[in-house]
Amino acid sequence: MTRRRPLAALAAAAATAVLLAGCAPTPAASVGAASRAVTDAQGTVTVFISGDTNVQTLWEKALIPAFEAANPGASVTTTLDLHGEHDAQSLAKLSSATAAGDDPGYDLVDSGFVRAAGAADLLAPVDASTIPNLATVPDSTVAAGDGYGIPYRASSVLLAYDSTTVSSPPRTLDDLLAWITDHPGQFAYNPPSTGGSGGAFVTTVLDEHLTDEQRTTFETTRDASQESAWEPGFAELARLDSSVYQHGVYPNGNQQVLDLLGTGAISMAPVWSDQVISAQDAGTLPATIHYAQISDPSFTGSASYLGIPKTAAHADTAEALADYVLSAEGQALIAETIAGYPVVSADSVPDAQRPEFAEADPATLRPGYSSETASDMSDLWDQEVPGQ
Amino acid sequence: MSDARRRGLGLALALPPVVLLAVFVGIPVVLAVGFSLGHVGGLNATIARIGTDTRVATSWWGTTQAWADVFADPRFVRDLVVTVGVTVVSTVVVVATSLGIALNLRLRGGRLATAFAGLAVVPLFIPVVIASWAITTFYSSDGAVRTAAALVGLDGPTWSYSVTAVVIGSVWTSLPFATLMASSGLQAVPDAMIEAARDAGASTASLVVRVMLPLAAVPVVIATTFTAIGVLGQFTVPYFTGPNAPSVLGVDISKYFQSFDRPQESVVMAVVVFVLASGVGAVYVGTAFRSAQTAGRA
Repeated sequence: MTRRRPLAALAAAAATAVLLAGCAPTPAASVGAASRAVTDAQGTVTVFISGDTNVQTLWEKALIPAFEAANPGASVTTTLDLHGEHDAQSLAKLSSATAAGDDPGYDLVDSGFVRAAGAADLLAPVDASTIPNLATVPDSTVAAGDGYGIPYRASSVLLAYDSTTVSSPPRTLDDLLAWITDHPGQFAYNPPSTGGSGGAFVTTVLDEHLTDEQRTTFETTRDASQESAWEPGFAELARLDSSVYQHGVYPNGNQQVLDLLGTGAISMAPVWSDQVISAQDAGTLPATIHYAQISDPSFTGSASYLGIPKTAAHADTAEALADYVLSAEGQALIAETIAGYPVVSADSVPDAQRPEFAEADPATLRPGYSSETASDMSDLWDQEVPGQ
Repeated sequence: MSDARRRGLGLALALPPVVLLAVFVGIPVVLAVGFSLGHVGGLNATIARIGTDTRVATSWWGTTQAWADVFADPRFVRDLVVTVGVTVVSTVVVVATSLGIALNLRLRGGRLATAFAGLAVVPLFIPVVIASWAITTFYSSDGAVRTAAALVGLDGPTWSYSVTAVVIGSVWTSLPFATLMASSGLQAVPDAMIEAARDAGASTASLVVRVMLPLAAVPVVIATTFTAIGVLGQFTVPYFTGPNAPSVLGVDISKYFQSFDRPQESVVMAVVVFVLASGVGAVYVGTAFRSAQTAGRA
């Protein structure tokens, strides 16, 4: 519950920043640019959303209505791939469309495959000249987008636990693995193919046995020959199989894991930061569920990136929409609607709230694997972990 | 009307469904079988480009490499056995239950028998997703079954996320159709036949086995084959109620296609399910043909 008030305060502060933007320099000026309101966009734009229902809600219930209200000349439609289940295929379709020079049917992509698409030269380059508010985002976060990805929000996977049954939660990955073995049936995670929270847990366990070079390879590309390095990690996960919920039940989806935590069926699980905060705000998760990041290594998380396909038909309007999302108003909507971490510079966040977001600094989060490598990881997990 | 004109008219009337079947069923089946054998050109080009580790034909007829990949995967063999097992058990339970309800209605009648027959049809009106979710929560570790058992000091079973729950869900979804078929089939047995058998001294058991079931054979075979084919290829029930492993092929096909990005392997599994279902379908076609013959239509 500690995060509610600061978020509300942040939203209020961001809204104030909008009011101030027209008349005085804001604290954001210290990174070299002030947040700019977007009010003159024209035309139509289609957003391709690949994510969970909370991301869908963010776009369809908050960002798009607000953008359309502020820009009477613009209209936005959406295309949804729930849970991003078809990411690898969507990426391949985008590459077919780009190769043929065709409009892919959408102008702005919100998906985990944006980085891979940028690396494959499928996205239009972006910078602060076309998207002025990009200048309010820390350089390192922008740089991680490789000149193609537009960072717009951040989230990470955290360890949530029931404070009524767990008095001293594990602080490191090793402690967590020991805790799971010591408390059979009290931990659950979803299969990596059905959501990122379970995916982050699996990735983190696998990472413990990887070298830095292998990690970088998996993050950026697919190299099946190196995937045997996952063996020790999968062996570890197979060993845990009999200690997780109901001796090896992995609920299908991030939300299903949260539900188990909410009903008290389990005491601990990896969860998305934004989903756990939203669920507590909505009252579907009791306030006795606490959450914290672990270390050595931490769970994965990162800024989420938007991309504009090279062959998009409405790139101008897409740029205006991305600019709006990065404005103080857009960032406040993200914090309010899905409890997403702001991606704009910490200087733009009021002093009192800065510690709350310190661990969520998008510049320090560990990213997950590339979408093709993640498909292989899901496949091998399915082969080696459940029912072993 | 001359014979030639009659034949022409018959052909014209039969053509639209034949063309429809060829376009929407025949061509996709041929494409899928071709893709499973490594034919990645033409209409298969996009899917071949999307998938990872797609095997490409090495001779004019193709390659069995993708099939070898699938059959070398211990998951597939395990899940094939489970799928066939779930299908057989579910079909036996569904047919036995629906026959029980129908015989009770035909031979004893009364309000209770009518109520049973009515109840058995209720699942028809409840969406499968909702039913699957309800079954999962009903048999979960904090569900109604265990709660009721705990009240009398017993430790009830947890069937959610187990193959047992998949069978329960399959029976739930298949029972309405089988019950409708079985009861209409048995209602059609003339009273005179039943009374004649009884007058000749037949016990209830031999009346059922030697008179009623043979007369209702066609609807019962239809109920059996449709149940088996339905359970064989189902997705929703096992996805919601079943374990992560072993899984059934309907769920595997979806996982391999979407999550693991291996469309070729998922198509191989789809062809396997298609072949199994065709075997069951052949029984149905045979029965329908024989019954048409008896009725003098073929």
